[in-house]
This record gives sequence, structure tokens and C-alpha cells, in this order.
Amino acid sequence: MKLQEYTESKYNFEECMKCTICTAYCPVLQVNPLYPGPKQAGPDGERLRLKDPFFFNYALKYCLNCKRCEVACPSGVKVADLIQSARIRYDHSKPKLRDRILASTDFMGSLARPFAPMVNGVTKMGVTKAVLDGTMKIDKNRTFPKYSGRSFEAWLKRQAPAQAAFPEQVAYYHGCYVNYNYPQLGKDLVKVLNALGVGVQLLDKEKCCGIAMITNGMSQQATRHARHNVAVIGAAAAKGLKVVTTSSTCTLTLRDEYPGLLGVENQVVRDSLLMATRFIYEKLEKGAQLRFRPDFHKRIAYHTPCHLEKLGWGIFSEKLLRMIPGVEFTMLDSNCCGIAGTYGFKKENYAASQAIGAPLFEQIRNVNPDVVACDCETCKWQIEMSTQYPVANPISILAEALE
Amino acid sequence: MKFNTVIIGGGLCGLTCGIALQKAGRSTAIISTGQNALHFFSGSFESLTEAPARMADLFGEAGIRLHYREGVRLMPLGTFRPAALSLEDISFFPKPKIGEKALIVSFKRYHDFFAAFLADGLEKQGVACRIEWLDLPELEQLEKSPSEMRSVQIARTMDRIWEKVVGEIRALVQDEDIIILPQVFGLKDTSVPIRIRESLPAQVVFVGTLPPSVPGIRTQMLLKRRYELLGGTYLTGDEATDAHVHEGRVHSIVTKNLDNHFLEADNFVLASGGFFSKGLKSNPFHIFEPVFGLDVEQAENRSDWYHPQFMHDQPYMAYGVKTDAALHALREGAPMQNLYAAGSVLGATRPEFGSGAGLAVRSALAVVDQILKTEAE
Amino acid sequence: MDKNEYDVIIVGGGITGAGTQRDCAMRGLRTLLIERSDIATGATGRNHGLLHSGARYAVNDPESAEECIRENRILRSIAAHCIDETDGLFITLPEDDLAYQKTFVEACRKAGIDAEIIDPDLARRLEPAVNPDLIGAVRVPDGGVDPFRLCAANMLDAKLHGGQVRLHTEVTGFIRHGDTVVGVRTRNLTTGVAEDFYAPVIVNAGGIWGHGIAELAGVHVGMYPAKGALLVFAHRVNNMVINRCRKPANADILVPGDTVCIIGTTSTRIPFEECDTVAVTPEEVTLLITEGAKMAPVLSSTRILRAYAGVRPLVSADDDPTGRNISRGIVCLDHETRDGLKGLITITGGKLMTYRLMAEIATDAVCRKLHIDKACETATTPLPGSEERSYEAVARKIWEAPSMAQKAAAARMGTSAARIQTGDHLDEALICECEEVSVGEVNDAIERLDATTLTDLRRRTRIGMGTCQGEFCACRAAGLLAKASGCVERERNGIADFMQERWKGNFPIGWGDTLREAEYTQWVYKHVLGL
Repeated sequence: MKLQEYTESKYNFEECMKCTICTAYCPVLQVNPLYPGPKQAGPDGERLRLKDPFFFNYALKYCLNCKRCEVACPSGVKVADLIQSARIRYDHSKPKLRDRILASTDFMGSLARPFAPMVNGVTKMGVTKAVLDGTMKIDKNRTFPKYSGRSFEAWLKRQAPAQAAFPEQVAYYHGCYVNYNYPQLGKDLVKVLNALGVGVQLLDKEKCCGIAMITNGMSQQATRHARHNVAVIGAAAAKGLKVVTTSSTCTLTLRDEYPGLLGVENQVVRDSLLMATRFIYEKLEKGAQLRFRPDFHKRIAYHTPCHLEKLGWGIFSEKLLRMIPGVEFTMLDSNCCGIAGTYGFKKENYAASQAIGAPLFEQIRNVNPDVVACDCETCKWQIEMSTQYPVANPISILAEALE
Repeated sequence: MKFNTVIIGGGLCGLTCGIALQKAGRSTAIISTGQNALHFFSGSFESLTEAPARMADLFGEAGIRLHYREGVRLMPLGTFRPAALSLEDISFFPKPKIGEKALIVSFKRYHDFFAAFLADGLEKQGVACRIEWLDLPELEQLEKSPSEMRSVQIARTMDRIWEKVVGEIRALVQDEDIIILPQVFGLKDTSVPIRIRESLPAQVVFVGTLPPSVPGIRTQMLLKRRYELLGGTYLTGDEATDAHVHEGRVHSIVTKNLDNHFLEADNFVLASGGFFSKGLKSNPFHIFEPVFGLDVEQAENRSDWYHPQFMHDQPYMAYGVKTDAALHALREGAPMQNLYAAGSVLGATRPEFGSGAGLAVRSALAVVDQILKTEAE
Repeated sequence: MDKNEYDVIIVGGGITGAGTQRDCAMRGLRTLLIERSDIATGATGRNHGLLHSGARYAVNDPESAEECIRENRILRSIAAHCIDETDGLFITLPEDDLAYQKTFVEACRKAGIDAEIIDPDLARRLEPAVNPDLIGAVRVPDGGVDPFRLCAANMLDAKLHGGQVRLHTEVTGFIRHGDTVVGVRTRNLTTGVAEDFYAPVIVNAGGIWGHGIAELAGVHVGMYPAKGALLVFAHRVNNMVINRCRKPANADILVPGDTVCIIGTTSTRIPFEECDTVAVTPEEVTLLITEGAKMAPVLSSTRILRAYAGVRPLVSADDDPTGRNISRGIVCLDHETRDGLKGLITITGGKLMTYRLMAEIATDAVCRKLHIDKACETATTPLPGSEERSYEAVARKIWEAPSMAQKAAAARMGTSAARIQTGDHLDEALICECEEVSVGEVNDAIERLDATTLTDLRRRTRIGMGTCQGEFCACRAAGLLAKASGCVERERNGIADFMQERWKGNFPIGWGDTLREAEYTQWVYKHVLGL
């Protein structure tokens, strides 16, 4: 290589031209003056932090990690990665009990699931909410995700022989949400894939992707999960299986946050891992066919979750939904819903969270659709709680529209 | 995924091209590496005095009205530039003495609007100036942030309270015939600047601020919305990283996000911008086009790339991708059959299209014509 | 007594002049400092910003080495807010002779420099940017020093002791009574106003320009200008100074300084006429990158921010009548004994590191002439801002939960940062976002540190020294200058001068992100703002 033939820097922070575009697209800046903003927290701050970690600013915790700054950046600076990695490197304060509980989605799920009706009843009660609000600083206005009585894994295990009969196979990284809260989405995926002649297998014991741990200061635990998941996905890939997902956040974490923030190399599994919408689209593109109900009719407003926008794969969800006869499709303006995983659950973030989502909620009310389509479970909670409109994953809509 | 035309670059040039092709019934996709130079748009299309045929229609249908009148426009540092085709936000005057008395209104604690320089520039032209600073409780929240009292954040607040603010400004007006305001109005709604003009008793002049540009962001948003409404596919935050080329024809494009899902098309348009947008890249040894490795016009010796005076025209800014008469990009001296170059990536290699925004729009439309003509043949 | 009469006039606002004024003022003299441009515009502000341990000179110039280590320790205690206590490494690369290391360490020890041979493995751990192929390493008490800050603090202290300062004021001639210099004629370069000032002793501390100043008085100081080119990389790649353990040569020092790091230098003799217009050549740029990458390989792919050159004021041996001063580097000439011209002293030679000693020597000479017997206290009295050693402690003392900008202010201003704590949001707004400079800090530099132009502000606060090189901060700061001075037109024109000065350092390394930034900046200033 010739000297200075190219230049590089950590998360491309030196490519920042100080153009301020990121600040125009940061949802937090619009509602929280305590947040220094992506430019200051990211590339500007990095130069000072390299001088002395003393320059680390604890207000970086207000970053949603929505990655909208990165999507907007014309220079390719990984602004959100810079911010999250600075938190990992320099924020050595111990996560609060509340944050640890919120972050441990799979552990909580496995505890709560056997007692689902009771847990759901309890978390719905005003008194519980008041206690959580007062002692745990989990906002009382939040609706808790319901836990399902039977896990998706248990359901799919029973289907294993039937699934094995399909000529083509994929593995499914379902994530905590499908397993503990909403197995129906997994079942919908199985229905759609089966209709395409594809059988669905479980991975060899997946773990939570760990995104909530990363954002709640538990990067060591997240790293352990990452190593495990890369190993099990790698094992499936080695068998020639594609691994599909239905959650945009899990997907972004598995593909990009593992190497980017946790330093867990995943190149071997990266190409095998894709959103189910992309997998299905590519099958249809190659000639596979789905048969839709002639009487299906729905007005759908599509919300691109932040992390799907970052992945750049919203196009597959959009094209699939538009393919369904009888669908009236509206693309909602790109706007963060404000929940950002566990962020919006925290009492201190509740007001900001709702303010961030307000323009989106307003647009949904104006469009007045039958259903809002969206590939992210936490967006679903937020939008359903804030607008009363039902929200469905595009896969569930496809399943419903199938003949 | 297959399209009629894939456009690399989602700025003014790429969007103009995309909208025109969608209107002509072609399926297109735009690959946009993040947001673009429209975010630093002054509001005036440099090097254009009238809208080229179709431009006014394309923009009008997107909700962007343009105008031009011979004369001058007032710049943020109190200087004047010749009028150019502009958004309605921009005012034109026959001469730099734009009135008798001007009231310049800014916000307390706002450093990105240069009231003192404006007043100085105007006073030199014989315009008496008075500066007033609004202290709005609605901006208190924003003022707490040391860095974020920026045009776009103020504009978000103004979108909510502009009517009240106009009321406060009205109370400040004495006998002025000119009111100068920063461009922080109408981030989402084009009609706001016009309604402000209607509700104040003197001629309102909106003057630019430090970036980001509020009228620029609005323009970008409206053009993109129009493009998507026409069925175009806008891939935000993606980047063309490589291309499959066979015997002088581009077959498909590889992007950062879609990796092994290639974007195929009959035609490709390179509207990737100049140096800032990385349409052109440089190292100590040469200037190059990164996606296709196209031929780039340039001085061989690095010392010749620059003029030592900052304000002088810089030679490097004239460098660009070489093209044939029909705007086919050249690689190793030969035209690529279905790859066209347009906008700033051309540098000043095609002076007949002008420069800046004029170059972006004119060359985009020329490429569209070329694509449609070739298809007809 | 006339208001234009002083005990001593110092010509030259570099570190030597500022240090001399401080020393004189602390010894009770009424002082005036006159500077043609701004503080630290010559060699003072155009070097590495290296707090030498003296190790570099240990083998060839033991006397300089001893001076350096002595002053090194003094500066750490009196100028804490200007010092970055990083320590340094002298590394031996495979192409170097490892045997030199022994000679080097012995010479260091003889000079009193704490030089410790460490395992290359330890060196790699201490400084991850160091060339991993190194075969030897010596740890020495090198560090970083901010020459602008140091110069400003000396001048401020002189003012606190009653001193007066005239910046942007040129000495146009000397006023003589027979064989005695009694004053200087000056012209303010901003206003054009001419004024005479009188003092029984005048100190020529003009650095390389001291040659010309002496000529105005009709005496000859034989100096020769040696140009040294340096490169600024856009962020710190190293947190320890890295030197080559070999005979001093080109581009063999890499110094971390504030948010950047600097590689240098070259040495080329140039004619006097070029002193004001030195530029860095493409050959020098190539040499600096090539040699720099040998010490820290990452420099080969690190964004470069600027190229700049300074002129060292070297004094030629043949002109020194005593011959004694040359080996020490510091040259103090009493033109009465040397040339029969009373009332003029020239202090020159030396280096940034030994400025305080030079000032002491010059002040001693001034005091002898004025028959004043007062001991020098500059070695033990902290400079304003340096009363506390750690900026972390300073920041936490001033602000309960300091923001990034407040931390940066504490790091730059030391205890003086308390001055900008007003509790008003207005003062906390950022003018320069790359270097975190607030309205309060800029106003402080205007009010307390005599800044009258954007470039003056840059030297005192670091505005425009960061990644964007003045993209936004130039206009914002010009607005504050206009408010302070009332000269709106002048301050607006100053923006173009400032951007020109930034561009001068950018285009010699104008490729990659630097060229992108330049294109963007040009666009903003020309087409958006209408400069």
C-alpha cells in the first residue's frame, strides 16, 4: 500500500465533515436538551475521549441507538456505534436492578411464561404499575407485553416431524418476543414458509440477541450471548441452512452489533442470516408462488422500524405487502416511534419516548388504516399503546392473506 | 431486484432524474448514501435564471414553486449576489438598496444567523437597520443545549408557534418597509413562509443561516415524497460499492446493505456528486471515481489541484467524470453503453450544463431524454 | 512621568518576550510589550509543542540537555495547565543501531534525565500506536506543552503585575540620543496610528525577526533562519511522545498535543525574505509521512489536518564575540558592551523549553542596567491558571457535573476556567464544536487575553483548530468580535483572512477527507453565506 492511499478511523469518525445533517434526524434531540446530540456525542466527542476518557459524558445514555444518524450521514460515519462503543468503553457505572431486569428478556421470559396468566394479570393491575413506577422507575403508563402460556419453541418441537418433511429447510432465529410473548408470529412464519415448500427448524438453543444488554451497560453478558449465537447460527449455516428472522432489531444486532460493538466476529454467519421477508421475496423473485385469498382486503400503513431502515431491508417488506392483491398500501414517513426497546420503559424516558413518537402516531391516525404493518415487536407495543391501532408483522399479514 | 433504471445518488440530480423517469412510466431505484447537499441549499439554483423546460412542472407537482426576477438577492453575511432561479423563500430586489428601513429579527442565544453583518451590509447601501432579538419561552428548552440551537431545531418549534411569533414581530415593527428573518420557517409546510409574508405589514425577506438549511431539507423531503408517490424506490443510507460490468455494459450494482442481492437495470445513472458526496475520491496520487473506476479529468501533478487563495476558484472543483456527447460515462477511453453521468460528478467537464444546481437539473433531464430516446430506438 | 514611559520595553510577543515581560514585571518594573502581529506567531507557535526532557540533546549537547530537564521540572510545577504529562519513548527500529541506546541512556543519566530502558513489549503496551517492530525502547520524562497557552499565561501574568501589551503594533524605528537608545517608534497595524514609547532599556526578543529589529537600531546580530516543516494529524494516535533513538534527524518526533498529534520536523536554511511566507513543499510532506509512519505505522492511513512550517532563529557562531553562548543555545547580547550602543539588549537562540531561563537571563541583564537587585521568582510562582495540577479536579471544583465543553475549558484554561462560570446559558453555547469552545471562553479571550482577530482567538482558545478548520466557528466567533469591537465590517472581512490562513495549511495535504472538507467549506462560505 502506498502511504495515505486511503485513510481510516474507528467507526469512520474522521470522515465526519461536521455538516450537522445527523442533528436534523436525531429523534432524541428534538425532545431532550440534556442529550448532546449525535454529532457532539459521536465524532466530535471521540477526539476528546481519545485524548482522555475524562471527556466521556454520561449524557450519552440518552441515545436511543436508533441509528437514524447513521442512515442520514452522507459521510458513512458510524455515529451510533461511536456513541454505544464509548458507553461500553467508558461508562463503568453498574447497571441498576431495573435495567438488568429490562435487559434480561429471555431470563424474564422463561421465569414468567409458566405463570403467564397470573403475570399478565399482575402487570396489568394499577397497583403493580404504581409499585413498578415508584420502586423500579418503570413508567406506570406503559403497557407490559403479555407473556404467552406456551413457548414457541415447545410448539415448533411438536411440529418437527411435519416440518422435516419439506424438501427445503431453513432455521428460524425467533428471538425472545416470539418465544415468550407472541408465538403466533412464529406460527405465521411457519405457515408462509410451508406454503413455499420450506420447512422450519429451530436453532440448537438460541439465546437472546443481547441488544437490551448492550444498551443497558451489560456488554459482557451480551458478548457471551453473541459468541453462543454465532456458534449455533454457524452450525446451521455449516449444514447449508439459511437462518431467517422476524425481528429487525435482533437481525441488526446479530449481523452488525456483534462485530461492531462487541468485537465478536460473525463474518461466517453473516451471509446465511436474513430477515424472513427478504428470504421470501428472493424465493418469489426466483419463481416460487404464493396463492392469496381473493376476498382479502386491507388498508395497510407501513412503518419502517429504525433498525430495519439501518439494515436497508424495508424494501422487501414493502414489496411483499404491495404484492398481496387487495392491499391498499401507504408508506408512513420515516419516523422513530420512540420506544427503542427498553428505553421507553424507563420512567425518566417516558415523556421523551412519547414525544418522539407523536408525529408518527398523528400520521397513523390521519391515514386511519385497518392495520399498521411493522417488523419490530417493540414498535408494535408502542404504536398499539399510543394509537389503539392494531400492529402486525408483514409475515402475519402474509399468513392471513394466504389461501 | 430489477428496475428500468438504477440511479446512484439521491440528491437534487438523482431525484430529478428519478421523478422524470417515473413520470415516463419507468421503474427506478435511487441509492442514496445518507442525506445530501440539498441540506446546505441556499434556496437558489446557482447558474439558472429560468427553469429549464419540465423543471417547473416537476417541481410544481412536488409542491415546490420557483421564481426568478432580474436583480440581486441578499446573502447571510450582508452581501449581495445576482438573482438566480430560487425557492419562493428567496426575495429579489432590483438593486442592493432594498428599502428605506429594515427591521432584522433574530432569536436570543442564536449564533447561526448574522444580524450584525446583515445590518452593516445594508447600511452601506443606505438602508437604515434596527436589530431586535426575540426571547421566546418556547425556545428555552433548546437554549439549554450548548450545541443544538440550530436552524432545524428552531424550525421545528416555529412550525408549532409561528403564528404567535409573527404576532410578536408585528408588535416590533415601527415604520420599516423591510423585515428580515432567518430561514427557520416552514420546515414541513411550504405555505408557512408565504403566510408569514401575508401577515406582516412590510416586505419580509428570509435570509439563510448556517447549515442545515431549512428550505433545503423541505425541498429534499418534498422531492423524495413525490418520487415515492410516483412509485420510485428510494434506498436511504445505502451505498453502491461495486458493479458488474460486461463488455461495456453495466449489468448490476452491488450495495452495502443488499450485499449479494444485486440491483439489476437496463440503465444506470451516476449522480453521486462531487468530493463531499464521495462521487469523486482522492488520495495523494490521483482523483478517482470509486464505483466503476471511470475516467476522471484532472491535472496530473497534485500541486496543480489547488489555488493558494481560498476564495479563488479551485481547479480540483472542475475535475469530473469524462463523458461522451450523450453523457455516457467513459472507462479507459470507451463509453459505457448504459451508464450515464450527471450532476456534480461531472465537475466542470460539461460547461454547457452550468454549475451547481443548474448542472444537476439540466444534466439529469438530458440523461432522461437520452435514456428514453435510446429505448425508443 | 509620561504615560508612554516605561522601565523596559520588550519587542516581540513570542514566548521569550512574554516570559521576559513577566519576569521584569514580577521584579517590579513598569513594562511594555510590543508585538507586530499576535502572541506566539513566530517559532513559538510553530513547533511540535514538545516538553523536552532534554534526552534529544543528551548525546550531542549535554548543556542544553541539562537546561531542558531543569526547565521541564519547573514548567510542570508552574505551568500545569499548559503541560500534558505524557512521558516519551525513544525507540530503536530494526534499521537503527541498538548500540546507540547505551550511549544515549548514559548521556541522559549524566545530564540528570531519568531514562529507563524498557522491554519492547512493555513499550507496545504503553503506547499501542508505536511501530510493533521496534527492537528497543527507552522511557523518558518528555511531555506536551501548549505554546499558545503558555505564552498567553505569561503575558496575562505580566499584565496582572502592571505590564502593558500592544499587539498588532510594529516597531518602525528606534529613538536614539547619541549612543543611547531611548525609545521606539511604532505604528498600530490595525488602526494605522503611530506612537512613540520610551524606556531606558529595550529588549529585542524578536526571534528570527530580531535580526531586522537589531538592524533598525544599527547593530548586527548574525542569525540564520532554518525552516522546519510539520504535519498535524487529525486526532491523537499516540498518547506518549515517540522519538527515534538515534542521532537527531528529520521527522523523528511525534508529539500528542491536545486533540491532535504532530510529526516533525525538517530543517532547511532559507533566506530572510522568506521568513514571513514559509510554505510546506510536497517533498517535505512526503518525507514527514514516510518517516512518521516508521514510528507509528497507523499514520500512513490517518487523516492529516494541516501542514505548517516555522523558522528557527539560529545564531551563527562566527558573529558571537565571546563564543561562550553558542554551546548553550541561549544568546544574550548587551549591545552596549558588544557594539557600543547603550540601552539595547538582544535575547535570542534558545528554545521554547528554555524560554523561562532566557527570560531570567535577559531580566537579570535589564536589572543590572537599571541597578535593581531583585531575585527572579518565575521558577517557583505558578502562572495564572496553573494553581491546580489536574484539570479533572479543576473541572469538578467549578462545575458539579461538567459537560464536555466545560471539561475542555478546564483543560485549556486551568483554574482560570472559573472566570467563565457565569451560570448563564448564553455563555455556554458552543462557538467551536470540534474543540468545544464556548461563548464564555471566546469572550474571555477577547476581554482578558487581548484577542482582536479570529486568528488571535484561535491561538488562545483553539477555535478553528479542530477537524472542520473553521467551517462554522469562524462566522460565529466573528459575530462575537463584532459585538466587542463594534467594527462589524472589519470582523466580517476577518472571516476571509481566517479562512485563507486555514486553507494555507490545508492544501499542501489536500486529499481524501481534507479535500472533501475543503469543498464543503468553500460551498458554505461562497454559496450559502455569500462571503
